[in-house]
Amino acid sequence: MNASVEAVGLGKRYGKRWALKDCTLTIPSGRVVGLVGPNGAGKTTLMHLAVGLLAPSAGEITVLGDRPGSDPAVLERIGFLAQDSPTYARLNVRQHLQMGEWLNPRWDAEFAASRIAALGLDPSQRAGTLSGGQRAQLALTLAVAKRPELLVLDEPVASLDPLARREFLQTLMEVVAVQGVSVVLSSHLIADLERVCDYVVVLVTGRVVLTGDVDDLLASHHRITGPRRDAASLPGNQQVIEASHAERQSSFVVRTSEPIFDPVWTVTPLTLDDLVLAYMRRDRDGVTSETNGLAVAR
Amino acid sequence: MTRFAWLQARTQSIVVGAILAALAITTAITGVQLAHLYHSLIVPCQTGCDLAQNDFLSHDQFLQNALVFLMRLAPGVIGIFWGAPLITREMENGTFRLAWTQSVSRTRWLLTKLAVVGLSSIAVSGVLALMVTWWFRAIDLVNLNQYGTFDMRDVVPIGYGAFAFAIGALLGALIRRTLPAMAATLGAFVFARVAVTLWVRPNLLTPQHLSSNLLGADQFGFMIRNGGSPVLVAKASAGANSWTLSTNFVTSSGHVASSNELKAFVHQYCPQIGLPPSGPPPGKARVPAGIPEAFQNCQAAAGRTYHLVVNYIPAGRYWTLQWLELGVFLALAALALVGCFWWVTRRSN
Repeated sequence: MNASVEAVGLGKRYGKRWALKDCTLTIPSGRVVGLVGPNGAGKTTLMHLAVGLLAPSAGEITVLGDRPGSDPAVLERIGFLAQDSPTYARLNVRQHLQMGEWLNPRWDAEFAASRIAALGLDPSQRAGTLSGGQRAQLALTLAVAKRPELLVLDEPVASLDPLARREFLQTLMEVVAVQGVSVVLSSHLIADLERVCDYVVVLVTGRVVLTGDVDDLLASHHRITGPRRDAASLPGNQQVIEASHAERQSSFVVRTSEPIFDPVWTVTPLTLDDLVLAYMRRDRDGVTSETNGLAVAR
Repeated sequence: MTRFAWLQARTQSIVVGAILAALAITTAITGVQLAHLYHSLIVPCQTGCDLAQNDFLSHDQFLQNALVFLMRLAPGVIGIFWGAPLITREMENGTFRLAWTQSVSRTRWLLTKLAVVGLSSIAVSGVLALMVTWWFRAIDLVNLNQYGTFDMRDVVPIGYGAFAFAIGALLGALIRRTLPAMAATLGAFVFARVAVTLWVRPNLLTPQHLSSNLLGADQFGFMIRNGGSPVLVAKASAGANSWTLSTNFVTSSGHVASSNELKAFVHQYCPQIGLPPSGPPPGKARVPAGIPEAFQNCQAAAGRTYHLVVNYIPAGRYWTLQWLELGVFLALAALALVGCFWWVTRRSN
């Protein structure tokens, strides 16, 4: 079983609007996968479909080889952290762990207790009075202590301040290292993912536009800058993702598996951020963009 | 899941438990005093007991009113604060996403929540009804009007509590927002109670009929509605603790007189009755000569034409009606719960 999540022609419709349409993707297991996309791309819908909170309107989705739903046997293998880390405001930290123990057969009470202690959370404090970062940590603890094979985290750090964000991701990395759990993590901020993910799936308006190992993607994409030139004149083994032209200069983001030798080009490596943004823009605007006399240097 | 449902309901259970305990102590103490009073004041009374009865009934007036108020309030409170928020709270705070991704099926999650809070609603209604029924038993023995306090005694309040909870849970599932669901719950509950009281309860049992001579009626007189012509009215008793649904004027051939026929009768046989009083305004003046005779002539004429038929539910059918109305509300509650269950597990994604 190589895929943790597999979708074929998956779609979800709310009334007449498709939140996710014709989505086909494979998310490998044993990886920390970043699901990236602008707001409204369908990330949350995809995740809710994956954990069985929603039922698909079209197509199929399997998670860990099973169809997600309300079946406890499937539910116990998936840990989910919903957006904004919902917790019961009137229950305290200890009662949340109690809930986890009562409702999950594989619950790891020892892990949960040590996690809460390591975080310095007061077990008798009500969840409603925790800070956003503490609440996210509590919710993550709940999701992880059920000992899932797959951890699905929907925008876990979106509402956290930079420090809490860093601490949360650090906790996550520790957990992944210790438990070897597969993770799917969504965000609209690529910088967050860069630190933790080794695989990315880019989703734009309900469609998958890029998927792959982060290192592979970074190795095969380059920004090349040189005298103004048409995209069509580039060698056939270079796939143009983004082109921008100034008066006398052209800049391309290209995908190629082979080295670039042509000396007219200045080749610069891309960050994951640049790479993902190039794909998002391509999907939204098409390949070429003309800038008025100004060189595009990102 | 049961333990977790209890954990979630803990605060409200403690609060309601404390209220019931305080109420139990209050009613126990005053109820025993009332019973003593009944045995010393009412039981030994042989003749002319009205005074003793009035004296007895005026005891603990405040508590009487408070308990009646509480009985009316309790099911509504259950529906609003236990039923409606049961699902809306989880929806509004997003915690259903936490609950539904634990290793428990949505069916079990919902059934357990409904069972725990629903059975609590039934228990609270039952305990409250028991205390109130017990407390009022001496007063009810004096009043002899069991159908007048029908919806605040014995088993029907359990049905109201169960229904209020169920309709609250259903509307909460449909509306998904707490405040509107609470308002809708109150509206739906009050409507159901009024509808059943006015249109269902009188038709649950086949009434019995009691014929009596008009001349022996408890009350006989005339009534003018909206300034129209006077209509014959009369009242006859079907006995203590029974429920009179209607009293009809019936001819010897068995025909029930309509109000138009009764107007015509007055017009024909009692012409003086319909006339506006002449002379000085009533109250100051003496009854004009001839009017008492006219009244008696009229009653005699009516007595020759009509006899009275009282349609009533006898005292002995009280418990049958209690169980029937309980059944009606439990059936409505079950329907609402099935709807709630169906909506949450099948439709709401």
